Amino acid sequence: MHSPFKLINKNILVTGASSGIGRQCAIDFSFNGANVFLLGRNVEELKRTKELCAQDVTIKYFSIDFSDLGLLSNEIASICDEIGPVHGFLHAAGIEKSLPYQHLKIDDYQCLYDVNFVSAMEIIKTISNKQYRGDKAKYVLVSSIASVIGRLSLTAYAASKGAMASAVKSLSLELAKKGICINCISPGTILTPMMIKMMDALTEEQRTARKESFPLGFGEPSDISYAAIFLLSDAARWITGQNIIIDGGYTAQ
Amino acid sequence: MEINEFVKNFANQFDETDASEFTPATDFRQLDEWSSLIALSVIAMIDEEYDVVIKGDDVKSSKTIQDLFEIVKSRKKS
Repeated sequence: MHSPFKLINKNILVTGASSGIGRQCAIDFSFNGANVFLLGRNVEELKRTKELCAQDVTIKYFSIDFSDLGLLSNEIASICDEIGPVHGFLHAAGIEKSLPYQHLKIDDYQCLYDVNFVSAMEIIKTISNKQYRGDKAKYVLVSSIASVIGRLSLTAYAASKGAMASAVKSLSLELAKKGICINCISPGTILTPMMIKMMDALTEEQRTARKESFPLGFGEPSDISYAAIFLLSDAARWITGQNIIIDGGYTAQ
Repeated sequence: MEINEFVKNFANQFDETDASEFTPATDFRQLDEWSSLIALSVIAMIDEEYDVVIKGDDVKSSKTIQDLFEIVKSRKKS
């Protein structure tokens, strides 16, 4: 029986697959039937993700560095030549910077913008191309609730995440003509290695206060991966251009 | 690294508090202007100026500017 909520036989690219939300998504996609192609910088960690994925689907990893975006399009094209049509794309690659605005340098803004946002656009440019795109393709970008709320010292990070959320609206109109849906997911605080590092600047009391500010407590990577499975599945065929906020009730307050 | 320079860099993170209020013995959390944002600024300053990454709990465990200076100094050596 056809299950619209599964990802059976879909080829899905996942960036940031070496840890955190990207890794969890890759694992959960594979157990829902997808062939998953892992992109990231750290080969050892990508191998580890591959080991954690389902073994009855195709899993491959590719080392890729977003520091030279000029090369990205070509690199993605050669990956697509190898894997075939791309039905799904999950962009979880991202870097953080928690700095009061007076300490932010021009390079900080540019680096965050390039890695968190422009890299996704460059990849989409390639995979949405007629020769590479799969039927009913769906893309999901992992943004952040910093795209819709303010938090001390996150100016540059929030700008890069907000760029994703607003770009997706315009981009969805162009991609609709190709039958492609694109959405953002904006997670609240999920205890990934990156977030734990980000919260190092806080005191124990501040970390407790942060946790208590989420009615359902901190999130887990699977809270995001389950929503991503839905948005990449056939069940989400009429959802596009949205920023889905998954934050344990934080922004309901 | 030198304590007077550290005190000056520390004082630079404040907008309203007069520079004369800062000495190595200043109990900085008692200053009216002290806030979690200034704590983040101090952490960023220490990273930029001294190439030492400290945590929020390091700031919390320090009472005076001298205490924080000692933490930074000890990390710098290692």
